[in-house]
Amino acid sequence: MDFPEVVNMLRFFVRMRNFGYVDRMGNALTYEPVEMAILEALRAFRSIHESAKTDENDRKYIEKNGKKIYLPRIPDEEEIRTFLNAVRKDMSVAKRVATLALAFPSKGGEE
Amino acid sequence: MFLSVGVRFEANVEALNMVETAGNYTKHRRVPYLVEEDRKLKTIYVPAISGESLAHAYQWSLVKEALAMNLPVCEDCAKGEFFKSMNKAHLKKKINPIPDDSKKIEAAIIKSCIIEDVGGFLYAEKPPVRRSSAFQVSYALPIKSMALFATAEPQLHARHAQMDAKGKKGNVSEQMIYYVETGTALYGFTFNLDLDAIGVSSLGAGPIIPEEEIKARREASLKALFRMLSSAQFGAKLSRFFPVGGITELTVVVTEHPFVVTSPIYDSYVERTKKRLEVIKEAFGEDYFFDSTNEVPEETLRKAIEYLKEKGYI
Ligand SMILES: [Zn+2]
Repeated sequence: MDFPEVVNMLRFFVRMRNFGYVDRMGNALTYEPVEMAILEALRAFRSIHESAKTDENDRKYIEKNGKKIYLPRIPDEEEIRTFLNAVRKDMSVAKRVATLALAFPSKGGEE
Repeated sequence: MFLSVGVRFEANVEALNMVETAGNYTKHRRVPYLVEEDRKLKTIYVPAISGESLAHAYQWSLVKEALAMNLPVCEDCAKGEFFKSMNKAHLKKKINPIPDDSKKIEAAIIKSCIIEDVGGFLYAEKPPVRRSSAFQVSYALPIKSMALFATAEPQLHARHAQMDAKGKKGNVSEQMIYYVETGTALYGFTFNLDLDAIGVSSLGAGPIIPEEEIKARREASLKALFRMLSSAQFGAKLSRFFPVGGITELTVVVTEHPFVVTSPIYDSYVERTKKRLEVIKEAFGEDYFFDSTNEVPEETLRKAIEYLKEKGYI
């Protein structure tokens, strides 16, 4: 099972050098820390979306050290629901998602 | 001599330890906490205040006490910038040229700064020299029996954004709204101070400053704790989120060797601490000072300082 939007959101935080959410999800031993990390990540991400700038092509970005970092979209409800259910059944799902978020994206990355 | 203090304080609507600002959202520090409910263990998330946050407040308070007592504080620490002689640039302000013997480096730092003597330092060059802090402080965490009532709640705030002639500035609206998470809990934390470590080399070179000054430094360290607790000048955002509440209980123990009060997050911590002290007295025949109060915490601290004075320790 893949959770591309969750992975992209976490990857955005990694690019911002905020490893907190990824680490908490990757190291979680039980379900609750994952749920909490996702809740906090979504809350922070939503807030960043609200204050982001928009370029000519209507894409949202923020500036960090003079570089534009484009924002992926906010993960949709269905993907979050499936993701949390999958983690509840199998903790290794959270670890895998966190690992993917740390890896270099295979295609269409915005590096 | 070793001093250990257990503190319980009530803090309502505080923003004492904020960890992250994302967009317009400022988050309170939170930690996972194990509680038992219906004979089952479960994890809950509670507002917390880091030991680092408390340690910073303590060292800042020590700066002021030390200056008032004419004890040496280095230029960086006096500004509240605790670089702790971390590299050549900062160490050169204390000793120039820098010796290549780690004992000489340690002595130079201790002689010129009580904050680094008591709070430790790390000189991360060649040769690296490190000193452990003589004081230790725990995270402040909600007490166990009430952890389920601890809460963090975002508060909405508004700040005016500057407007241009047309009444609009880009896509910034007239008011910027932002959220600050506030925490509310009955917190407990532990503070330890190893009085024997003050003014003494941690590299085995013995006392580095004269006995009289060591005593004065011990006294300053105690006064700093006293002042920090009674002024409640710890944590962040005090200008608008000064916590409503205050110290509800304080337990102070002074022993000859390291002894730590049972953590005040447990309801029975006063009795347990007392029992443990009794056992140690029987087993090792060592004297101790113990006092606990839920009335005037300053009084308990004053008595502990007096006890140390009588013992000729400060
Ligand atoms: Zn200093």
